[in-house]
Amino acid sequence: MLFFSYFKDLVGREVTVELKNDLAIRGTLHSVDQYLNIKLENSRVVDQDKYPHMTGEQDAGNDLGLRLSVRNCFIRGSVVRYVQLPPEGVDTELLHDATRREARGG
Amino acid sequence: MVLGLRFFTERVGDAAGEPVLDAENEEELMHVQPGVAIVLGNRTPESPGTLYISTKRVMWLSDMVRERGYSVDFLSLSLHAVSRDPEAYPSPCIYAQIETDAVEDEESGGSDSECDETLDVSKVTEMRLIPSDPNQLDILFDIFCECAELNPEPVEEQDEEHNWIFSTGQMEDGMGTGGGEDSEWHISENPANPIGYSNGGHDLARTMLEYAELFSGLLSSSYSLQLQIDDRRFEDAEEMERDTRSGHQ
Repeated sequence: MLFFSYFKDLVGREVTVELKNDLAIRGTLHSVDQYLNIKLENSRVVDQDKYPHMTGEQDAGNDLGLRLSVRNCFIRGSVVRYVQLPPEGVDTELLHDATRREARGG
Repeated sequence: MVLGLRFFTERVGDAAGEPVLDAENEEELMHVQPGVAIVLGNRTPESPGTLYISTKRVMWLSDMVRERGYSVDFLSLSLHAVSRDPEAYPSPCIYAQIETDAVEDEESGGSDSECDETLDVSKVTEMRLIPSDPNQLDILFDIFCECAELNPEPVEEQDEEHNWIFSTGQMEDGMGTGGGEDSEWHISENPANPIGYSNGGHDLARTMLEYAELFSGLLSSSYSLQLQIDDRRFEDAEEMERDTRSGHQ
């Protein structure tokens, strides 16, 4: 449950969620549940050209014809590939301790 | 499980009635929204129709043609959103992305399926639902969220024994030898590929948390997490090594 707790702490911050279909959506993290379903507010599709490292294969077959500019967006946890976090939202000390605790099974 | 959109025609009674639900699997109707048009992919809107949201799936049934209707399981809905931006779509709508089983576009067109009315619904990846009353959008969105959460990914039986959460002994072994090769849990610092700096842009200098096969990982506890973080943030890595070493003396 480490991820779940961790993501809950990030509520209110700007994150970018990259889906397994290569779509990337940026928005304010509104909530996350135990299945890591993610709700974003003020979300929008990220211009992928700005994120060359995120483009796995940007082939023509992936033309979703999508210009999504939406207020609320619900993303199914199982389709998420990456979540990009703001650096200031990453408390490495805390994360370190938490992962160690988890590894010890406590 | 079959992903994607399907034709749906099973209705209660003779008229253009409600859909027949899968009572055996405890499917229940959560919401009925009359006056909804549906847009599949880039096709023209179909209307008028009624939207039925159950605990398992979303169904849209035509009010005019009894044999016309579609359904999609919540398990196939990758995301749904409220779209009010006229540039994205002229009418305010619920936008949904549908996960399909179809192989990526490479398949030769022209399925010879008999129920195929020039449209292969199993390949539809986008759906828009346009309520005649845009004020219903937020309510619909919330119901979609609620029902999506009722449908987590089914747990797949995995025989893999590599279950790191419970194999603490294995983990300790891994730590003792300075990071076991076979440990699925690893924090890698890869100076050759610092993702956060690939562009030199400040806004890109962000940490990237990768959780491959996120969901199955959570359930099967065999997730491989890879944190790629700026080296300097791991100042206590040495300390950790010292701890480990002293623990073995």
